[in-house]
Amino acid sequence: MKGVAQGLIGATLAVLLVSLAVLLAAVGNSRAEDLVSVVSNPNIAITSSFNGETLSIFGNVEPDDGAAAAKGPYDVIIVVTGPSVDRVARLKTNNLGLWMNTEQVEFNPFPTYFQVLASNPLDKITDQATLEANRILPEVQARISAVPQSLHVERFGSELVRLMTARGFFGINELAVRFLSPTAYAGQLTLPGDISNGLFITQTYLFKDGKLLAKRGDSFAVNKTGFERFLFTSSREYPLFYGITCVALALGTGWLGGVIFRR
Amino acid sequence: MQIYLPIAALSMNLFFLVGIGAAVGFLSGLFGVGGGFLLTPLLIFSGVPSSVAVSSVTGQVVAASTSGALSYWRRGGIDFHLVMYLVLSSLIGVFAGVGTFSALRAAGQLDLVISLGYLIFLGAVGSLMMNEAIRALLKRRAGIVVRERLPSQHTWMHGLPLRIRFKKSKLYISVLPVLAIGVGIGFVGALLGIGGGFILVPALVYLLRVPGNVVVGTTLLQVVAMMAATTILQAVQSQSVDILLAFCLMVGGTIGAQFGASAGQYLRGDQLRFLLAALVLAVAIRFGVSLVLPPTDPFSMAILGPGGLL
Repeated sequence: MKGVAQGLIGATLAVLLVSLAVLLAAVGNSRAEDLVSVVSNPNIAITSSFNGETLSIFGNVEPDDGAAAAKGPYDVIIVVTGPSVDRVARLKTNNLGLWMNTEQVEFNPFPTYFQVLASNPLDKITDQATLEANRILPEVQARISAVPQSLHVERFGSELVRLMTARGFFGINELAVRFLSPTAYAGQLTLPGDISNGLFITQTYLFKDGKLLAKRGDSFAVNKTGFERFLFTSSREYPLFYGITCVALALGTGWLGGVIFRR
Repeated sequence: MQIYLPIAALSMNLFFLVGIGAAVGFLSGLFGVGGGFLLTPLLIFSGVPSSVAVSSVTGQVVAASTSGALSYWRRGGIDFHLVMYLVLSSLIGVFAGVGTFSALRAAGQLDLVISLGYLIFLGAVGSLMMNEAIRALLKRRAGIVVRERLPSQHTWMHGLPLRIRFKKSKLYISVLPVLAIGVGIGFVGALLGIGGGFILVPALVYLLRVPGNVVVGTTLLQVVAMMAATTILQAVQSQSVDILLAFCLMVGGTIGAQFGASAGQYLRGDQLRFLLAALVLAVAIRFGVSLVLPPTDPFSMAILGPGGLL
């Protein structure tokens, strides 16, 4: 398994080098720095034994054409955002001795996954205003997606982020990006086993001395494959047939159990 | 060995799933109940989203009741006429139950209603069974021969209009209480993810005076038909039936039930009823405590809409 993973990383690095060469030949924009990056596995397949996966995001800081060679030290923040859903945060209070949900705030659209990978502590990379303006902090996600006119948005937003962090869906990892050379970096991302399916966006921000120099967006897809995909698609596209199959399976299992054990 | 459940969208240990299926199957074989009232809470406490747990256990209950229903059918222990009325009326209850389920989930009160429902139904049925079992045990100890015979006189319910003859059950009673029981059992079953056998058997015995030789078979067939309809309805409406999860539970449950049934032969009827009553009351108390004790985390989250499974 490890050999395969290393082989994959090796192959990915080869692809990366080729794409770097191609990109080096291409004419960049007017900025002094530019970013190139690639996700180690752009298509994550959920199979029957899926229990999470580790991904790498490789990138390099490129000097723009005509500019001097890129010089560090740089800082990199990678924000990985999963597909969004309509989510609510609820608060239980005690009413006449019973604990029940009495207040809820809706967040729509709210990402199912939001991880911040950084090469240094965020407050050392840049200031709070820049982080907020670029929607890098999880709390900012909660603030912008809260349904308007809700009360206590701040409180419910931070509690929702706490709950998502406890489940491993949200988080800030300030050691996840390592610089391999003054300009080349690698970010490590661990996806949990109960991750949502869909398109994930990785947004990379390049900082130097607290200033945002360049941005780059990549993506990868998480999809069920094989039998799991077949089952999921059937349950959504042919729900009646799926339900009847489930009942037939139950009747068959029950009948078979009776026959085998001669009950 | 981890297995990925496509609808629940999480991976769980295959042996854990088959294991709890077998454990609950053992108890259901021992006591002759479907076991949904134990399996649904166990899955919810294990982290399966409550709507997936309720819908998938519905499928498992079909499997658990099928072999029993077939063996009663071969022995002629089923009143098909009565089953037809119960199933048709329970479908109305199932529709209402599935609708209420979705509405409560959107309002954030599903867990409260599930806890209250389990507390009330399991508490009431458990107390009645416990009371009866203890009295039977005491009488046996005192040396009194207990004649298991129900008074044959009619109650006021039997005299209501629209009387129908149920030949197999030797009853000529109003159809209205039959339909009411069907609607009620369908509603509760769909809402709480239970087959309702442990509620239906006492209802048929004490309210309708269905004789003992057909009551279990009739209940089993009613549970199979009603839960099959609920499974299809949940698959269509809430799309939360996880066929892999249900299958793992079915396999474990079918095997466990056989061992439970053999073990049951070594215990007397009143002892079995006492143990079942204790089990039912324990689950009821577990839910009651969760309502009264302060939660470890007052905040919770959920996904809204048709894809919402939490």
